[in-house]
Amino acid sequence: MGVPVKRLTDRLGGIINLYGGSLSLVTMDGKLLLNGIPNTKFIYANGTIFLQFMWPNGFKNFPCSNDTPETYKLDIDGKEYNVRCSTVEISGVQSVYALALSHEGIASFVYSKISYSHIALVVTMVLLVIPLVFFVSSMITNAQREICLHDKLIKQMEATQQAERKSMNKSLALVGASHDIRAALAGITGFIDLCLANAAPGSDFETYLKQMSLCAQDLLGLLNSILDTSKIEAGMMNLEEQEFNLADLIEHVVDLYHPVGMIKGVDVVLDPCDGSIIKLSQVKGDRGKLVQILSNILSNAVKYTVEGHVCVRAWVGKPDFETKILASTRKGLGKYMSSLFSGKNDGNSDIKAVSAVRQNRDSVEIVFEVDDTGKGIPKEKQKSVFENYVQHKETAAGQVGTGLGLGIVQSLVRLMGGEIGIVDKEFGEKGTCFRFNVFLTAFEIQGDAMYGGTNSSFAIRNCSPKLGICTPSPKLDGSQVVLFMQNIERRRVSQKFLESLGISVLVVDHCHHFPSALKKIQSKLNSLLNSSRRSDMSCRSDISSSSSKEMPLSAMEGTEHKLPFNRRKDTPSFILLVIDVNAESFSELWRVVAEFRRGLHSTCCKVIWLDKPTSPCIDPKRLNPDDEILLQPFHGSRLHLVIKLLSEFGNLSQGLSSSSESSKHPYGKTRLRHTQCNDEIQGYVSSSNERYSKQGSSSPTLERTRGRLKSKRKNKDGAESSNGEKPLIGKRILIAEDNKMLSILAITTATQLGADVEHCENGNEAFELVCDGLKAQRNYDYILMDCEMLPMNGYEATRRIRIEEERYGVRIPIIALTAHTSGTEAMEAGMDAHLNKPLKTNELIEVIESIETKE
Amino acid sequence: MDLVQLQRQLVDYRTSLYHEGFLDEQFTQLQSLQDENNPDFVVEVVSLFFEDSERLLNELSKALEQQVIDFKRMDAQVHQLKGSSSSIGAHRVQKLCIVFRNYCEAQNVEGCLKCLQQVKHEYGIIKTKLESMFQLEQQILNAGGSIPV
Repeated sequence: MGVPVKRLTDRLGGIINLYGGSLSLVTMDGKLLLNGIPNTKFIYANGTIFLQFMWPNGFKNFPCSNDTPETYKLDIDGKEYNVRCSTVEISGVQSVYALALSHEGIASFVYSKISYSHIALVVTMVLLVIPLVFFVSSMITNAQREICLHDKLIKQMEATQQAERKSMNKSLALVGASHDIRAALAGITGFIDLCLANAAPGSDFETYLKQMSLCAQDLLGLLNSILDTSKIEAGMMNLEEQEFNLADLIEHVVDLYHPVGMIKGVDVVLDPCDGSIIKLSQVKGDRGKLVQILSNILSNAVKYTVEGHVCVRAWVGKPDFETKILASTRKGLGKYMSSLFSGKNDGNSDIKAVSAVRQNRDSVEIVFEVDDTGKGIPKEKQKSVFENYVQHKETAAGQVGTGLGLGIVQSLVRLMGGEIGIVDKEFGEKGTCFRFNVFLTAFEIQGDAMYGGTNSSFAIRNCSPKLGICTPSPKLDGSQVVLFMQNIERRRVSQKFLESLGISVLVVDHCHHFPSALKKIQSKLNSLLNSSRRSDMSCRSDISSSSSKEMPLSAMEGTEHKLPFNRRKDTPSFILLVIDVNAESFSELWRVVAEFRRGLHSTCCKVIWLDKPTSPCIDPKRLNPDDEILLQPFHGSRLHLVIKLLSEFGNLSQGLSSSSESSKHPYGKTRLRHTQCNDEIQGYVSSSNERYSKQGSSSPTLERTRGRLKSKRKNKDGAESSNGEKPLIGKRILIAEDNKMLSILAITTATQLGADVEHCENGNEAFELVCDGLKAQRNYDYILMDCEMLPMNGYEATRRIRIEEERYGVRIPIIALTAHTSGTEAMEAGMDAHLNKPLKTNELIEVIESIETKE
Repeated sequence: MDLVQLQRQLVDYRTSLYHEGFLDEQFTQLQSLQDENNPDFVVEVVSLFFEDSERLLNELSKALEQQVIDFKRMDAQVHQLKGSSSSIGAHRVQKLCIVFRNYCEAQNVEGCLKCLQQVKHEYGIIKTKLESMFQLEQQILNAGGSIPV
């Protein structure tokens, strides 16, 4: 066989035994190779080999040498076996084998479970195949879809580009056409103005022309907004560089909208915040665009607010701080991590943008806020208001606009390097608050960031006047300001600002509290002078109206060291009352103030009245000569003026004794410097010219400006009688004159002076009339007697009248009108005075006055 | 013509009248008496003056043509004329009237005749001048402007 039998059988047996089975092998020749199965032997009979099982009770033969395997079940020793017999060829030797496998062995175990395993295998296969199939199919579909999408994308991009091109062309065309449109409009406006110059005033023609002019202006405004939008879209809007004063600009814009707001009952307030804008004197940037932005937002705010206030705030952002933060977050690991996670590109471009705008070291960020108490914009619409052509429709009827405003504003703000957004207001507050920031170049920053008024101890006279206000000198302490304003927001803003400068402010919000507040101050001052310091401490706490700062009366200074009785440092040297006339009727206020004044002994008190520019209701005659009238709105430059007043007066009165005479002198000086104030007063006075020119006003502020007023009365060189223009009002005058012309002249002259005139043509008539009057007890007050009359001349008539008068005991003043220069004959006749013909107004008045004074 | 030019012309004209002694400050007084209650005062008064003066001048001429000259009456009339002219400020006329009166008192016929001629002459001039001034004023008013004071 070539292989040692033993080895083979051992091998096979070992294997089979491993599996719990036995093997018997016999060759066809009858040679037994292996007899593994116990109790069996092979029997060769009739050409086949049988396997003989030997049991205790017998034996059984199984045929084994068939070519096909046969399986028998047998019980051997109590166990079930499967016996398999078949022929097998082992290396060319035909043999027969018999394999017995127990059911309980591994093999049978496997065998029994094999069906299960088959199923399991099949299932697994299926399970594997199905996802595979899915995967493949989805890959295929994805690929297809991608191709599809790619196609679509390309098409879409082309379409977008085309649309953009179209829109760009449109914008460009519009920009190009703008010149022509504007030129045509300018032409129309120009010609309308020309026509207006030649139109008869007050005619219908003029009215129509004025309306046309207004329409043309409206058209121009609308056109400008449309053109601006298209210009921005076309990317052709550029920034201009111009130097200007930021605080002035903001105040200018706010003042522009203040009258409009006042008419609606909405107060437009400028909040100086921490005063940082004022410190920044000159800036460089695009003035026009900033004005446009502010105007647009302000006009929106005023448009959509019907009551309450609109507050404009501005302050300087803190650029250094921010860049530091920015730089630090990008350092080291943080930078690495952030670039890892957020994508490198974003991080870098962000820094680049920041640095581009702020690379200029003088660049300063200004933050603006416009806060109103109007309708408010619901959250969901907040984003959309900035889109062009979208207008928040739930507004009051009659609002005009293209809806372009905020879109343009956003573009302009972005152009200036900033961003605009709507800030959430606190819960319960209605209205909208827009906040935006822009970047400008600071031109001359005065000193470093002095945010919040710091107390510097040196005088600030040589710096710019605006700066001088913001760095308060300690000399401002010791003065007291009482604010009485109607509008809550304005009050709060003014109070905050004044307090930030170290001035103590007492706020009165209700007209009821006003007199009581003043009384409290009054009593305090009086008590201070007389009583000890203890009482001060106690009464400090019971001030009723909302005051957040205590009065500096017995301030901190006083408590530490003992000061003598009459040192002025304890009492406020100066009290300033700022009173808003809208809050209460003027006469009422004046009465209270007058009482207060009377109660004050040593301190000086000055009142500043805030009056409405459109309908002034203050009667300047009743004002104290030291008082001043300012026009609302009380913010910006006017606020600064008042503060300057305070500081200057505070300086002066602390140095001097507080006698009112010596303080009047610096008063005059300070008043001379208030040119701006005076311009306003002049403007105010000249607009109400008629009212005051007829009355003799005694207020010095008005008197000084009187020279500017055109006096229409030329013949007032003479003494002005106490009655003003009509000194003869109510008087009855008899004019005796025969010459028609002269009589007309005399009559008209006397009538113009307010007299009741009667006329007669000769001495006889005069005499008769006078006699009638004497009898009726209704006498003339004066008689103007022409001396040359026929038949009876004036002298004769006078003589007769005098005789008649004696009977009644009266004497009517008779004035002679002569052509002669000397009046001796007239006086001899009994006349009281004489005038030369023709009659002159001033001479008549003089004469009458001299007669009056003689009597 | 332009409104501003007209107004300037008026002012110049008036000033020249003062300068040349045709008018005196009485005319200014007259103007001051004109106001919104009396809008055409000056024109009315001046028209009255013209009427009055012409009447008086006629009577004076007639009186001087008489055989017997009533100097007294003439004197009274000249006095009237003097009064009228002084009332509107017709300075030259007024001056001449004074001279005329002297001649009347002196009963100087020659002098009176001469003076009358002069008075007539001066009167003619002032009348023309005042009329042109009023025309200018009317033009200004028609053009929609206002009379400068």
